[in-house]
Amino acid sequence: MSDQDLVVETVRDILTGFEPFVLTAERRWDAGLWSALADAGLTGVGLPEEAGGSGGELADAVAIVRTLAAGAAAVPVAEQLLVAGPAIVAADLALPSPEEPLTFAVGDAVSAQASDDGDGPGRFTLTGTATDVAWAGVAQHVAVLASSAVGPVLALVAVGDLPASDAFNLAGEPRGSLVLDGVPATGALLTETQADVLRARYALARAVQLAAALEQVLAWTVQYAGERVQFGRPLGKFQAIQMELAEMAGEVTAATALTDAAVQAVERDENVVLAAAAAKVRAGAAVEVVARLAHQVHGALGFTQEHKLHHLTRRLWSWRDEAGSELAWSRVLGAGVLADGPDGLWPALTRVV
Amino acid sequence: MSSNSLTLAPAPRSEAAEQVRAEVREFLAAELAAGTFRTHVDTWLSGVDPSFSRKLGERGWLGMTWPKKYGGHERSAMERYAVTEELLAAGAPVAAHWIADRQSGPNLLTYGTEKQRQELLPRIAAGECYFVIGMSEPDSGSDLASIRTRASRNADGDWVVNGAKVWTSNAHDSHYAITLVRSVPADPANRHAGLSQLLIDLSLPGITINPIRILDGGHHFNEVVFEDVVVPGDMLLGEDGNGWHQVTAELAFERSGPERFLSTYPLVAEFARRVADSGDPAAVATLGRLSARILALRQMSLRIAAALDRGELPNIPAALVKDVGTTFEGDVIEEIRRVVDVTPSLDSPDPLGRALAEAQLHAPGYTLRGGTNEILRGIVARGLGLR
Repeated sequence: MSDQDLVVETVRDILTGFEPFVLTAERRWDAGLWSALADAGLTGVGLPEEAGGSGGELADAVAIVRTLAAGAAAVPVAEQLLVAGPAIVAADLALPSPEEPLTFAVGDAVSAQASDDGDGPGRFTLTGTATDVAWAGVAQHVAVLASSAVGPVLALVAVGDLPASDAFNLAGEPRGSLVLDGVPATGALLTETQADVLRARYALARAVQLAAALEQVLAWTVQYAGERVQFGRPLGKFQAIQMELAEMAGEVTAATALTDAAVQAVERDENVVLAAAAAKVRAGAAVEVVARLAHQVHGALGFTQEHKLHHLTRRLWSWRDEAGSELAWSRVLGAGVLADGPDGLWPALTRVV
Repeated sequence: MSSNSLTLAPAPRSEAAEQVRAEVREFLAAELAAGTFRTHVDTWLSGVDPSFSRKLGERGWLGMTWPKKYGGHERSAMERYAVTEELLAAGAPVAAHWIADRQSGPNLLTYGTEKQRQELLPRIAAGECYFVIGMSEPDSGSDLASIRTRASRNADGDWVVNGAKVWTSNAHDSHYAITLVRSVPADPANRHAGLSQLLIDLSLPGITINPIRILDGGHHFNEVVFEDVVVPGDMLLGEDGNGWHQVTAELAFERSGPERFLSTYPLVAEFARRVADSGDPAAVATLGRLSARILALRQMSLRIAAALDRGELPNIPAALVKDVGTTFEGDVIEEIRRVVDVTPSLDSPDPLGRALAEAQLHAPGYTLRGGTNEILRGIVARGLGLR
């Protein structure tokens, strides 16, 4: 068993003690699951030990995020391990304790004003409203991609005391706003390229979650089709159902293959923006087919809150348009593959991943 | 990992593949500039050009993975993947050699006698000897085990063949048909038994090749009729009675390659030129969505090439790639129509209109040839444990 398999086994073991539940404004996340993961050191995987993390590679962090996404775990692990944590480390900012939930926000309407005159990591004052903040009201810290007079700034803010608005995605995951009114923050200037890569890594984090949830929905649906008997046979013995399950498998395989390749692009630090855009668009496109057919096969039972299916299908319908909508990333990819001119499509396609 | 698992490991990056890719790209640019071919849609069916095939053979781009002693080049499936992908993306005329290079050669390598290999493989690798697949019949399409073409041994030990094969692409320009025949009368209890493959020289007496025109009037398909055709006894491929197993073993080669999602790529390339010109945001987004689908299919197909390099025959993942890929080939037409004002016509002065017309008129074939998508989904369902 590889180290990665061991990590996945550990996460699965922990998950068995925490069934997914219906999220509400009063119960916005699974605090108990988070504590269990933090106690096991899993909320710092992929972040260097010298920065206070648990060490390990990006692939280990991805494996954890995948496992938790498949389990519909209501914890900000994708944001912390794949986006905010690595960005803070890369920007040489002090990483908060991995036991305290950390999230990421694209602060298009947040401006950062330097409150010292240093060039490197320094102090900033943030003003504006960060919207659509994943796990707003849950996270203790948020890494905000803000703008400043001299370019993008990655700012780290303690938000434990800030109120978050009540806004939620289709699965009830918190996606509220944080009003930053002259809030002090540590921060670092980024190049435009670094800011683009950061947005892309956020999109890729959602693609990783999408791919894992798509796989799980397929597995649940195949299992259900094998168990549910109608007309004296399991559903899965009917050709009409087999065609639907095979179509789902095709979409899941496509989404997974491209997401895996995009993760490798991040590991190589090559074409991250277009690779992540492609993975996000492809995984998002698979959602329509997979969620629709999963519900069709599950029948009315899957349309109820009693059945577990909605924990993942509602997340799929949300995640595909988060961290940049499918349309926005389609435009990024479409423009990106034309960057070398009208005849440049094929060379671009063979280079992206 | 089991070959019958749906999921394959990611393909490792291949520097050798990228190197040969660059060489092929340079070659194609020079050929296009010299006007030796024009880009078309679906050229692995319709683009027969023996002189082009011989050029590829001279450069070592046919029979790439085969042993050198048979005229091959002992390169990886990943390198071959790069070559085939570049040829398809350019819409180059590759139909003459395509079947021989893709599956007849590997089939001969696995099941052929030493004499058959020595005689045929070097000619295929040189781009001089072309093959057709003799599987489907007038009354046997998806239900391949129901074929009725019969072969029986005569007193000299030769095979006497009677029957007919259809959809044999480019039989009129090819030299051999690897023909699936019933060599033992059908046993209803074991339909897959008693089938054999024969290597049939298409110039033998008793063979009639009748054209079957497809929707655009093109002559690629044929009906090949066998009337008391005497095939030398040593032209049995593999074992007598093992035909079913042998044809299914070919399928990973037949179903997983880039021709299963790039048949309409020249249309996408033409669309990209239009989008670069117009900058229309809806069209840019459509190009992004189509690109994401191509990128995913490349990864899926590359995983199969890597599995072939590991010596696996991943038939179930191959069926899956072909289902997703050929669906994409047709979807391209509708996606583009939704965002570009263009009229399809083979005579259009607009290259996008011409490519759209070619893609449209060939479209019914994408999800039929090499196993219908319904058959493929049945195979995938088996991979999911449902059958």
